[in-house]
Amino acid sequence: MVNGPIWPGGAAILSPVQVLPVPSGRRALESRRHLRDRVGDLGLQALTALASLGAVAVVAGIAYKVFDGASLAIGHFGIGFLWHQVWDPNHDVYGALNLIYGTALTSFAAVLVAGPISIAIGLYLSELAPGGLRGIVGSLVEMLAAVPSVVVGLWGIYVLGPFVQNDLGAVLQTLFGWLPIFSGPRHPSSLLTAMVVLTIMIVPISASICRELFLAVPRDLKEGAIGLGLTRWEMVRGVVFPYTRGGIVAAILLGLGRAVGEAIAVTQVIGAAQGIHVSWFASGDTLASRIANQYQGALTHLATSSLVYLAAILLVFAVVINVGAQSIVKRFEFQRTGGS
Amino acid sequence: MSRLQATGRVRRRQARSRAMEVLAWAASALAVAVLGIVAVSVLLKGIPALNLDFFTKTQALFGQPGGGIAHAIVGSLLLVAMATAMALPVGVLVALYVSEFARPRVASTVRLSLDVLNGVPSIVIGIFVYALLVLSHRQNAFFGSCALAIIMLPLVARSTQEVLRLVPQSLREASQALGVSKWRTVLRVVLPTTFGGILTGTTLAVARAAGETAPLLFTTSIFLNQVVVDPRHAVSSIPLTIFTYSESPDPTQHAQAWAAAFVLMMFVLVTSLTARYLLYRSRRRLGAI
Amino acid sequence: MTTKRTLIAVFGGLVVALAAAAGVGAKSSGDTLVGAGSTFVAPLVSQWQADYAAKTGVQIAYSPIGSGGGIAAISGRQVDFGASDAPLSPDQLTACNGCVQIPWALSATALIYNLDGVPNDLHMTGQVLANIYLGHITKWDDPAIRALNPKVSLPGTAITPVYRSDNSGTTYNFTDYLSAVSPEWKSKIGRGVNANWPAGQGGKGSSGVAGIVSNTAGAIGYADVAYSLKNHLKVMAVRNNSGAFATPGLRAITAAAATIKSVPAGNEMHIVNPPKADQRAYPICTFTYVILPLKTSKAALLRRFVFYAVSPTQGQKLGPKLLFAPLPTVVLVAAEKTLNKVSS
Repeated sequence: MVNGPIWPGGAAILSPVQVLPVPSGRRALESRRHLRDRVGDLGLQALTALASLGAVAVVAGIAYKVFDGASLAIGHFGIGFLWHQVWDPNHDVYGALNLIYGTALTSFAAVLVAGPISIAIGLYLSELAPGGLRGIVGSLVEMLAAVPSVVVGLWGIYVLGPFVQNDLGAVLQTLFGWLPIFSGPRHPSSLLTAMVVLTIMIVPISASICRELFLAVPRDLKEGAIGLGLTRWEMVRGVVFPYTRGGIVAAILLGLGRAVGEAIAVTQVIGAAQGIHVSWFASGDTLASRIANQYQGALTHLATSSLVYLAAILLVFAVVINVGAQSIVKRFEFQRTGGS
Repeated sequence: MSRLQATGRVRRRQARSRAMEVLAWAASALAVAVLGIVAVSVLLKGIPALNLDFFTKTQALFGQPGGGIAHAIVGSLLLVAMATAMALPVGVLVALYVSEFARPRVASTVRLSLDVLNGVPSIVIGIFVYALLVLSHRQNAFFGSCALAIIMLPLVARSTQEVLRLVPQSLREASQALGVSKWRTVLRVVLPTTFGGILTGTTLAVARAAGETAPLLFTTSIFLNQVVVDPRHAVSSIPLTIFTYSESPDPTQHAQAWAAAFVLMMFVLVTSLTARYLLYRSRRRLGAI
Repeated sequence: MTTKRTLIAVFGGLVVALAAAAGVGAKSSGDTLVGAGSTFVAPLVSQWQADYAAKTGVQIAYSPIGSGGGIAAISGRQVDFGASDAPLSPDQLTACNGCVQIPWALSATALIYNLDGVPNDLHMTGQVLANIYLGHITKWDDPAIRALNPKVSLPGTAITPVYRSDNSGTTYNFTDYLSAVSPEWKSKIGRGVNANWPAGQGGKGSSGVAGIVSNTAGAIGYADVAYSLKNHLKVMAVRNNSGAFATPGLRAITAAAATIKSVPAGNEMHIVNPPKADQRAYPICTFTYVILPLKTSKAALLRRFVFYAVSPTQGQKLGPKLLFAPLPTVVLVAAEKTLNKVSS
């Protein structure tokens, strides 16, 4: 569920928010009114500060509760949890490697495919699309972002899964069957299906941000490049990309953050299998999906705690990716404003 | 600047540029096509299961046909309404603090927290609410809506912040120059100009919350098979119903999952379109378009 | 300020609706019992819910979140009763802070498969089944399966073993059986509500498993008989200790349960792989349990409901059409005796 601006002004989150200077207060003439205003000012400030404190506290609370819940498993398995493969509830032994592998593989594959597609859509919407189409296609791309993940998952089970198994899978196997990742029997619930589902979910997010970024490139720069006799593509490569490089990386990182944290749609299509499978046609599992499947029914304290340990790993991934994206944007903005 | 220099091989350069344009067009067409396929699937598979019973009855007994998702529809409405009632005021207050009151360093800490919160996977929010509230009490609709509110909060706060930034500084200065105190300026002058934007952000957050499944898995999943409107009891919800029915072997439940997906999509569509309209209107009023 | 008015109207409407909802809710909340757990017993509970509400006005909320979830939920007192097909281990009983488990239904786990052109009642043995789930047997035309089914022409389709991804009592029953028949399974995997599955893919709930099996050519899975029956899946005949191939019918389940002559103190009973007393006995049967706290403010309500459920003339009467066999008398007596310990 992570992130992504979901409204047209969304890219504005990527620019540093200007902080308004606090206007100097005027002295009130009447003392009673003065008092009431003092109380009002203080009251509103306190109320808003309290709400903000609440928001910060929720973040701190999440981190605390997750690491507190995981502490038993952290104490028991230590950091080795990260590279141990066995997940065996019968013997109360848990390790996260299979799930980290599943999460990393599906998310990175999705981002690798979604990145170029998002940039291309961003370019189309900002540079190429004729006026009328621009708004319509842009809205449709945003509609795709608004499709709830459980609906994508439902569609993934009944429409995409069979397609991936019978059509996409068959084509990939015929062309690249010599690659181990496209070998072996094909299943409708597979790592590949999960990758496609994640790609579909992150493209609209990254694409909307890319569009905003490209639109923010000053017109005179673009026109100047065209005026110099460059083709559109050369203009994009020479002007738009260098100008928005940091933002593009951030847009893709935000997509990655979303892919890493997605639980529901992935649970529906990945097949909840154990082990690390080389073939992408095999079933697998991810951190978020394992939590969704087993947290409610975990029987021992260690099992519960190990699942929360998974959540802690997920939390760290997601926070690092998101904060990373934000800081890249900030640095990039600084360079752009400071360097010109 | 050597990269920017025009060279003589014009035709080849034009061809390459054209090829890239075609690729960009194809990528957009692909995204629209995927949306189309999803929408058509939901329509074709969902509409046949829609009938009056679907909206007015609860789940049929095991092995019997028919039944509906009335309990899930009411449950979702209740959950989202309560979540909105929590997230909207808090989100607006946070945004006001950040843009009107806080010192820069404090403001950036709060903003960072909001960004982090927005990045927390929803399943982790589910675990948080479970550990904090459900564990010591029981599942109920209120806790479910708390989880949804946590998801909505950064969305509402951020969109409010965005519109607060669009309020001209001169407006604030003019108000204060007239001797109006700060809190009155904020509440009477600054905030009213941003209602449209706040409404937009809230609507989008509502659309998002209505479709969330993961936070409800551990907070409100043990419910009565009847219409419940008491927030002290767990309630069913449309996303959870789709999630459960989607893995069912029962063709009736498949059809109902699709029909529920149709209902959810329509809700999201209507709220998103409303939001776009409101955004357009409020932006025009603030002169940003 | 039309937007302002809209905003205030929306928010005001919200608050009013919530207040109204709370008011209505306060009036309508009568006696309810909240339970969660086994998906195995869910079809039967859903019959009980409707019947019991009609007879007594007491509403039963039941969510089939899996036996593991049921045990966890009652241990944390998240619910009024839990339901599990896996009997509580002594450790779990301790963790439950004063719980009792009462057998309240009896049925079997069916082996379901999806193989075009192959008839129903494919023959299977525990050993071959263990080898399939261990990943040793990967094709349907494996000699071991052919030897059991000489008259059937088996395709070379790959076998996809399907298991429960959530923590499940059906899995407990299934792995209990495999552990009883296969030493390799017992030492490598063991029995429990979940396992470190060497092969295959998982589905959520009985319905998830049955769903995957019905969508996947070459899949084999296990689910309670009610689900497999209702969804017209092909069901295997499994060889019992007398050498006969039994399908999970009512008589076969009753025959397996007849091996119980006395009920141990904790009510934990295993009837998988029964000795060769009865040719008809189906080897993968299980009692399924309701788990109650010994001390609860809802003791009277709970006792009445569970009495209803185990009563041969009431709750148990709704079982047979869903392939739940009536509880044997000796078990019924033990159940009622345990139930009387629940007090407020």
